Amino acid sequence: MIRHIVRKEFTDLSRDGRFRWCAAIVGVLLIVSLGSGWVEARRAEAAHSAARETAREHWESQGAKNPHSAAHYGIYAFKPRLPLSFLDQGVDPYTGTSVWLEAHRQNDFVMRPAQDATAGQRLGALTAAQVLQHLVPLLIILLGFGALAGERDQATLQQLLATGVSRRDLALGKALGVAGALALLLIPAAIVGSAAITIGSPGPAAPPFARGAVLAASYLAYFGVFVALSLAISAWVRSARTALVALLGIWVLNGLVAPRVAVDLSKWLHPTPSAVEFARTMEREIGSGVPGIERPDRGETTARLLAEHGVETVDDLPVNVIGVYLQESEEFANQIFDRNYGALWNRFEQQGLVHEALSVAAPLLAVRTLSMGLAGTDVQQHRHFATAAEGYRRDLMRRMNGDLAENSRTGETYIATPDSWAEVPPFRYDAPSLGWVLQNRSLSLAMLGLWLLGAFLVAGSLVRRAEVA
Amino acid sequence: MILRTVLRNEWRLLVADRALGLVLGVFALLFAYALGNGLSWVAFQEETLVAAREGNVERVEAIEAELAHIADGGRPSSPFRDPRSPSVLGGATGAHTAVLDPGPLTALAVGQSDLLPYYYDVSIQTNESSFLQNGEIENPLNLLVGRFDLAFVVVYLLPLLILALSFNVLSGEREQGTLALTLSQPVSARGMVTAKLAFRAILVMGLALGVSLLGVLFTGAFGAPGRVALWCAAVAAYALFWFSLAAWVNGLGRSSAWNATALVGAWLLLVVVLPAGVNITAGLLHPLPSRVAMITAQREASNEAVNQRSELLARYLEDHPELAGGVAADEANRAALAWAATDAVNRRLEEVTGVYDERLAAQRAMVRRYRFLSPALLTQEALLDAAGTGDARFARFRSQVREFAEHWRTFFVPAILAGEQLTADVLPTLPSFRFVDEQLPEVTARAVTPLAALGGLLALAGAGAVLRLRRVTGPG
Repeated sequence: MIRHIVRKEFTDLSRDGRFRWCAAIVGVLLIVSLGSGWVEARRAEAAHSAARETAREHWESQGAKNPHSAAHYGIYAFKPRLPLSFLDQGVDPYTGTSVWLEAHRQNDFVMRPAQDATAGQRLGALTAAQVLQHLVPLLIILLGFGALAGERDQATLQQLLATGVSRRDLALGKALGVAGALALLLIPAAIVGSAAITIGSPGPAAPPFARGAVLAASYLAYFGVFVALSLAISAWVRSARTALVALLGIWVLNGLVAPRVAVDLSKWLHPTPSAVEFARTMEREIGSGVPGIERPDRGETTARLLAEHGVETVDDLPVNVIGVYLQESEEFANQIFDRNYGALWNRFEQQGLVHEALSVAAPLLAVRTLSMGLAGTDVQQHRHFATAAEGYRRDLMRRMNGDLAENSRTGETYIATPDSWAEVPPFRYDAPSLGWVLQNRSLSLAMLGLWLLGAFLVAGSLVRRAEVA
Repeated sequence: MILRTVLRNEWRLLVADRALGLVLGVFALLFAYALGNGLSWVAFQEETLVAAREGNVERVEAIEAELAHIADGGRPSSPFRDPRSPSVLGGATGAHTAVLDPGPLTALAVGQSDLLPYYYDVSIQTNESSFLQNGEIENPLNLLVGRFDLAFVVVYLLPLLILALSFNVLSGEREQGTLALTLSQPVSARGMVTAKLAFRAILVMGLALGVSLLGVLFTGAFGAPGRVALWCAAVAAYALFWFSLAAWVNGLGRSSAWNATALVGAWLLLVVVLPAGVNITAGLLHPLPSRVAMITAQREASNEAVNQRSELLARYLEDHPELAGGVAADEANRAALAWAATDAVNRRLEEVTGVYDERLAAQRAMVRRYRFLSPALLTQEALLDAAGTGDARFARFRSQVREFAEHWRTFFVPAILAGEQLTADVLPTLPSFRFVDEQLPEVTARAVTPLAALGGLLALAGAGAVLRLRRVTGPG
């Protein structure tokens, strides 16, 4: 019996002109957004890897100079595009793309692509992820709002139940019919998506099929929530029209209102300082230190070194005091940076948690978090890269200061050889593992799971109790 | 007058209809919430700008104190930061923060003001790369999603309110069997629909414009009545467009359910799908050039500059013969040499940025052409422009900061080249930045295009409605 229901539902939907049109629009948008995301990601990664090579070349070919001059010259790091970022560019347009790693300072990432775009482009940016998060649920609503309410409107529900079909089978059949119709759209998109991942992931690593699979599963769960919700509302309310209005209301709350409310709520609960205030605090703390983090003093460093080596004058020291002092200053500043940037990043993550927690009201927030996380384009993975880049900067400074301290004496004009720069290993970034991502996104995983479970339970109970006429 | 009867009747129906009252109430809350959000953002910006302005004063005071200390025979706190040196006083130590006050109606539309910088520290080191800096500290996730401000409510949600109120103005009467009765009175279908929609338009626009004006009242933006008028015009035109569309669809003579589906479909198409489609097309056909190449160019320029400092100074003086007499004779004038190198890097950077900006401007112009496809994009542009949080006002700010930086340089560079030592006398004469805001004619000239296009769409929908409604005679 259930097979008949599925087939009837599927045939109905695939013959329905309205569904065909909507599915065609969504399908075209999905394929085009996949394609354009892919082209854009490839373009960006090509530009970045070229710039990365040039940056390294500049570093290596800077010629004979003092290591501290080389440290001031520094090197630029460019954020890599992870292979799945073409599916969901996430916050990438709003985080900078490159950072200057230089002596004494932890710089901000600059050059946000969004700053160059127009206000209009900001309003309607569309990625494959957005089609999946916003438009596919809408399609599901259009497919499912009449599932039971429509039968009731046409007074066929009574006849249907009179054939002896159980309500559970009826509901399941309807759900599977909707799923089948949806599959017509999603399977080609999944094939295009996997092909895009396989033939040309912009990264050098193996294609990230595990991440892709979890991503696909998350979206399927999200669609499942909407299928169940559509059935539940369709069983609950009297007419198909009311079902449509209620479901569209849910859609607007889920996709338009809740995300923006989450922004305001997160800012209100966890305010971030203004850039002026942040810079001032940092300047003050770098200038005079904070309790527990004291600014190094060159005189003290010299005295300590003299005592350690048991000599009277700096000329007798086997190390360059300046090199040692510079490294101590770096380490002092690093603690101040960690204090301030760490607090800021933590704020961002707390704000992110508010977005995730609000998914209790809007499943979109859960699936969006998972999607960005798996595509490697969320705030946390930006932090991961920023931390790696800063780690590289610190290592670079340690090497430069070490060279200065060990290979020269205080007061000497030391020039390192031109080939010493190539000895510094290049910056390599390893993206975090799938396990790391999922562990950080456990709240969203749980929320999505709860939504799926809850929506199906509610749908089941409402279908059981649905009035026949 | 029969129309008055229709209006009075509508009012009674509205008061009696709980659901309708609820929808209006929810929207009133959404409007109030959006306004509250906008107001708190303006308060944050203003607080930040107070701190930035205080910073300007404090820096000058600190320099004044140090100069007095030195004049009394003291030593500068650091040999690298001797404020008597023009490259120090004109550099980061004496930097002047140029600020852009929030647009007069920022509380109504946050727009680009959370993304684009509204203050820059200007010093002799300011160059094109300074303009790459980020704006206010903000979680990228929040930037991605955007704020819940009035502009958002107007562009996305207001049409839904309008559609909910008017999808069945005619079809409902027909379905209740009251259409024949109504039309037996001396009123045409067109007249009746117009009256019913006019009643709803007054309610909706009263709400939208009332909350907007409340926002204006709270922020004291009455100084910009022209902008307020433009804002109101954009809101009214957009709302009327949706009312006309509803009238048109009602005139097609289908059922209420069909009307609702068609209108929601239109909303999706015009507000969600078209802007998205436009952006995908724009992204593929007119991709924004990557800024990454600028870093490479800047690096190469500075490498070159460092290698040929003294040569650059000679070339700089050839370009600026008026300064040659003032250059300190001492060949080892390091500040002058450094300046020549900086200037060479700046020039090169300007070249690269110039090429980039041209390409960017061309791409943006292409992208902006597509906005005529969607009333939502047109309205957004008009609203942001009226609020002073659109791209144009920020571009104006950047170009004025550029000019100011040039002014700042011409103030300090001759002294750097001459190896002069500055005294406290120079402090009161330091350049200071003042943003010259857009005048109403400029804003209006810019807003005319989207408003006219919106008016065109409105006329189109209105004409369609009039033509269809003329044919409605009775229950069909």
